[in-house]
Amino acid sequence: MSIAYKEQHVHDALPETSHDELARQHFVRSFKEHLVTALHPGLKTAYEKRAKPRFVAEHQREPQSIQEVGQVMKQDSHYQAWSSLLRTSQEMMWSAAQIPVERAIADLAAQAAATPKIGSLRLDPDLQIPSYHTAVDIHCQPGGYHTEYIDNDVAQGAIYDRAVYIYAMGQMGVNNADMGDSTVAWLKQEHPDFKPTRILDMGCAVGHSTLPYASGFEGAEVHAIDVAAPMLRHAHARASSMGLPVHFSQQNAESTDFEDNSFDLVVSHILLHETSSAAIKNVIRECHRVLKPGGMMLHVETPPYEGMEPFDTFIFDWDSENNNEPFWRKSHLLDLEALARDAGFQSHTPIQIMVPSAFQETQRSNTFQGGDFGGGGVWFVYGCQK
Amino acid sequence: MSEGPDEVTLQRKAKGKRPFYFSDPDVDRLLSMVMALTGELSVTRDRLDTLERVARAKGLFSASDIETYQLTDSDMEERAARHRAIFKEVTRIIVGELEDLEDRDEQDYRAVVDQVENDG
Repeated sequence: MSIAYKEQHVHDALPETSHDELARQHFVRSFKEHLVTALHPGLKTAYEKRAKPRFVAEHQREPQSIQEVGQVMKQDSHYQAWSSLLRTSQEMMWSAAQIPVERAIADLAAQAAATPKIGSLRLDPDLQIPSYHTAVDIHCQPGGYHTEYIDNDVAQGAIYDRAVYIYAMGQMGVNNADMGDSTVAWLKQEHPDFKPTRILDMGCAVGHSTLPYASGFEGAEVHAIDVAAPMLRHAHARASSMGLPVHFSQQNAESTDFEDNSFDLVVSHILLHETSSAAIKNVIRECHRVLKPGGMMLHVETPPYEGMEPFDTFIFDWDSENNNEPFWRKSHLLDLEALARDAGFQSHTPIQIMVPSAFQETQRSNTFQGGDFGGGGVWFVYGCQK
Repeated sequence: MSEGPDEVTLQRKAKGKRPFYFSDPDVDRLLSMVMALTGELSVTRDRLDTLERVARAKGLFSASDIETYQLTDSDMEERAARHRAIFKEVTRIIVGELEDLEDRDEQDYRAVVDQVENDG
């Protein structure tokens, strides 16, 4: 199989890429597709034919946990080759996205600053970048979300914007908007009378998931926060160039300066797994605080491990040890109902559902696997009404 | 080559210990280099592909002109020389070790160090 190819929408905040720079990015996308479609299926074969029998011979039972599958899979030559290649593809992806940005870093900053703006941007140079972002560079982006190289820097945002498209192999749509699009579509279908007028997106990065709320709920005031200034500068220029007003501010979702009971809808997209045990509790508590009574909290993530086969869990867990996602595993094992309850969400049952992807113009692998983030064709949505 | 005062170098290695997968991490390193080379080969092929498409669009020549081009003996000889130069570069480490083997006067490197350090 192959994943339908469609190029990213080239908006004004993206760097110009030379012929060869673009070809390098396209190669990485094809490399990732090859890993997903040609080499990934062999992992199951290697497990069934080689690794599992080795475990069974030794223990007289099948592996029952991530650790037990890992004991034998990490010795398997196909797993070793796949992992080595997947890690390499991730490194090549960042490098290929960095090259045009590094070349034009000053021009990009000037271009973003000169873009006629709508909405607003409020930065806080004194904001402490949380240690769960500074300890390692999340998903191996050199410099993480927050590093700044020059004044008014947008480099990390411009790199992230392009890399997300390559990473998802286009499976999140031409604007990487699928997580937001899918959630808006689900809300409109399941809660047709819910008309949020004030919306907050936490951990918005470049605002790729934020914009569907601005276009989907006409007239709503949309706020988006992130800890990283280069993401927000890029996000503001990007949203402005697309004609969508969003109020961006540099804030940590654990503790914001928004008033109590001031939002109808608080959302996040793949934020929770990039925090920590303490931070995730603070984030959910903060959602409860800023939501109006009757308001809705929705976090888009990948599905929890509960109920998954040990082998599938081991593969899906690959990022936690191999792609600088230190909170990935723990975040997929949390008692989400207790998390909401303890944060104050006590009058409604938490939502834990799979929401179908709104982006249907692609053929997917339809699995959740390391390196194929958008391949599932569904998103896990966790949340609660206040 | 030195960089100008305005040139910015981005951090290229992600903070965090890089995992290795094969029993010898040099295999991971080599694989990473092989994939980088494969990437550069792909970039070059894409550039050739663009060249053919532009040439056709401009009415200069088409991809089939390339397919049907008849190589002369002298063309072939020039190419073979280029192939030999490439092989020589790529197999340098192997050929070099063979040359060491064939050199009967080869001394143990440590002995040479001892010699130059302690000869006076």
